[in-house]
Amino acid sequence: MSKLDAQTWLADHGDYLFRVARRQLHSDELAEDAVQETLLAAIAAQARYAGDASPRTWLTGILKHKIVDLIRKQLREVALPCDEEGEEAVDLLFKQDGHWAEPLRPWGNPQAEAELSQLRRVLDECADRLKPAMAQVFSLREVAGMETEEICKELDITPTNCWVLLHRARLFMRQCLELNGFSKAGAA
Amino acid sequence: MKWIPTCKETTVLASRAMDVRLPFADRMAMHLHLAICENCARFARQMHEMRRLFRANADAGDGATGLTDEARQRIATELQDQLDR
Repeated sequence: MSKLDAQTWLADHGDYLFRVARRQLHSDELAEDAVQETLLAAIAAQARYAGDASPRTWLTGILKHKIVDLIRKQLREVALPCDEEGEEAVDLLFKQDGHWAEPLRPWGNPQAEAELSQLRRVLDECADRLKPAMAQVFSLREVAGMETEEICKELDITPTNCWVLLHRARLFMRQCLELNGFSKAGAA
Repeated sequence: MKWIPTCKETTVLASRAMDVRLPFADRMAMHLHLAICENCARFARQMHEMRRLFRANADAGDGATGLTDEARQRIATELQDQLDR
């Protein structure tokens, strides 16, 4: 790889890498860091790039590790909102006797491209609205597909905290999606 | 947990079932509740749908915008520093 390549990769794949990182880190600043770290690591690892994967695939692979590193680093700095934070919000979703406070509305099944792009916008917005720690644990599990055991270990949090965070994130995310146009009459 | 869990308890079980195989008793309790509760059955379906949508979204190249010119320039400079070393 010549000097040109790292700069070319920034030009060709920078935006793409940024968007992938932005979806999981929920912060422009952190996503920029992730892109930079990825390209720096790519320079260091260029000898190991065999060229059998496309540059974008190879860079995305490096990016995924960098995203986990950044989330881990960030979660160490913020107190996890495990015990109290979010508990009241969960209580609002249910009645005292443990039944749902409001019936769940069915979701539509968008097919048209315009609907799909609207749907993607809502997904991104709702993810951004979660508390940072929740959004990140949610992303690692539901977007990146990491096993929960691995996530707890990586982030050095107890399994119980992990479950609670994930479960609340799912509840709030579902609520946010429903409130922002996911519900349509007559679908699942 | 009682013989049939409440909706609130069932959502915890349904959520956990997305990540690990539940112990037999929990699994039975969850399914008993899901069989009689339209809301929770819908919740469980939507959890799977949500996962599918987020994973599909992660691979879609559209949506959020790209790097700002400022960030791009800063990263380019960092890369050059590393390359010149």
